[in-house]
Amino acid sequence: MPGRKVNDVDQRTAKYVIIGGSAAGMTAAHTIRARDPGSSITVLSDEPDMPYYRPLIPYVVSGKKSVREMALHGCGPYTGTDIRVETDSRVTSVDTEAKTVFVENGGSVRYGKVLFATGSRPFIPPDIEGIETPGVFALRKLLDAREMHKRAAQTSHAVLLGGGLLNLKAAFALLERGLEVTLVVYSPEVLSQLMEPRDAAPVREALDDAGLKIRTGAAAVAVESDSDGVAGVLLDDGSEIACRMVCIGKGVRPNVEFLETSGIVLDSGIVADACTACSRPDTFTAGDVAVTHDPISEDRVMTALWTNAVEMGRCAGLNMAGVQTAYAGTFGILNATQIARLPFVSMGVVHTSGLDCEVHRHRSRGSYRKMVFSPDGARLVGMVLIGDIRNAGLYRHVIRERMEVSHIKRQIIDHSLHGGHFFR
Amino acid sequence: MAQPKEIFVKSERCLGCMSCMIACSVEHSPGKTLFSAIAEPVVPKSRVYVEWAPPAKKIPLVCRQCEDAPCMFACISGAISRNDDGTVVTDADKCIGCWTCVMVCPYGVIGRDIDAGKAYRCDRCPDRDIPACVHACPTGALLYETVPDYSKSMRQKASEELARAEGE
Repeated sequence: MPGRKVNDVDQRTAKYVIIGGSAAGMTAAHTIRARDPGSSITVLSDEPDMPYYRPLIPYVVSGKKSVREMALHGCGPYTGTDIRVETDSRVTSVDTEAKTVFVENGGSVRYGKVLFATGSRPFIPPDIEGIETPGVFALRKLLDAREMHKRAAQTSHAVLLGGGLLNLKAAFALLERGLEVTLVVYSPEVLSQLMEPRDAAPVREALDDAGLKIRTGAAAVAVESDSDGVAGVLLDDGSEIACRMVCIGKGVRPNVEFLETSGIVLDSGIVADACTACSRPDTFTAGDVAVTHDPISEDRVMTALWTNAVEMGRCAGLNMAGVQTAYAGTFGILNATQIARLPFVSMGVVHTSGLDCEVHRHRSRGSYRKMVFSPDGARLVGMVLIGDIRNAGLYRHVIRERMEVSHIKRQIIDHSLHGGHFFR
Repeated sequence: MAQPKEIFVKSERCLGCMSCMIACSVEHSPGKTLFSAIAEPVVPKSRVYVEWAPPAKKIPLVCRQCEDAPCMFACISGAISRNDDGTVVTDADKCIGCWTCVMVCPYGVIGRDIDAGKAYRCDRCPDRDIPACVHACPTGALLYETVPDYSKSMRQKASEELARAEGE
């Protein structure tokens, strides 16, 4: 390592070092603790806050939850003890020969085994002029949520760039604060990553009814500013929207730069083998930063989903504690949520135009569904449920296990499948 | 530690009378009596589901309190945890109604209160010695026993049948 000696006086040691203090990292830490009660576990987090439930940060923007209510420790599976969490500790590089990680503010930690769970960060489009202006946010960390909460008090109109789930949640948090909110979406419809435009129609109607202003097929070219920061957004059609706040939700990018000199194999994210291990001895990865596989499409995928990060973090924790466990992979798309009082679930293969899949759609009052079967009709490969999302977990099971479905196909198409159909 | 009791389902004994569903709804209503439950402004909801599967099977479905509880791990708000007695519980105050638990439950036994925006589930009736559904079942399709007791009764039944078969 240039400029650094591994025998620095301030070097510390832990049997398990976990880089990243969110879903994947903390789940791994608690999983290891359950299997290996006496060992030292050190989590290095680059955030100033102790681990928290990241998906709750829109509630900080709306003011509906306090930071204290979001703490990870003691909730759900996070009940292990004696896990050392060091905040404000950003790892800058890793020496896999000397088994040492280097922390930005000096110091290093020697590891027995290390987990890379550094997650992802918002993608900021480089082609929007003036994007560095105060009042422009990308909601990712508790820190961002606090700042957004503050800024929202000084403004009556916010413009959100991007029509994904995160921005929709941010939009509703701001609507609850009484702001006017305009969503600028480049795609022909909102939620384009999770469903096709025609399938998103019921969601769109609910968003319109809830008072969200949506401009599809439009992109921002510049953020205008004055002495108070953001003053407006200029769109590619030449129109301007006056606003005092901008939020960018255009997807995320994995935090891998700290491994560029490490010799660990990267492919956009960190490449994981079947058992979550990386290409060097005693190195593992999990969460948003990890490249894993989709069991249905067999594609390599990176997802940015809490639930997936937990599942993979748990698997990595088991492997690190010596219990060899294969990671089952995840669907590229796997989302459940409720916005504008409308619940919906989207999973597996849902973008079907141009594909040869067998598709069944059904719309009734208040609900919509799309069931996607393989071209031969023998397997369920994806689905969208809007409104009536009952038993969504059963479909996930059917898809993930690649079940031959001829005996329950009618029930799947009718959305009448229930647990009793699996009893012998 | 004492072995915790579990709810066992003997689906071959189920007649589909849905007494369990009524008892569960009543138990989880504010007044806890059938008469008050009927008049509740919010319709009381059952946490056990009697389903019908072809050709003529009736199957009571109830939370299995999975050892590996996928709902607990999947929960994005820290609302689901496991009690000391092994019961997996949802804290309604923490639940944000994102339905991730519904998306991962392989048994389909997590209910959705859409109006309240809260998920609900079997809590094994913490105020009762025997869960209401088990207590109400007239045919013994639902049993509340420890795993060793249940397997012992199954072994006994099997050996009796074996002895009978050999005696003939």
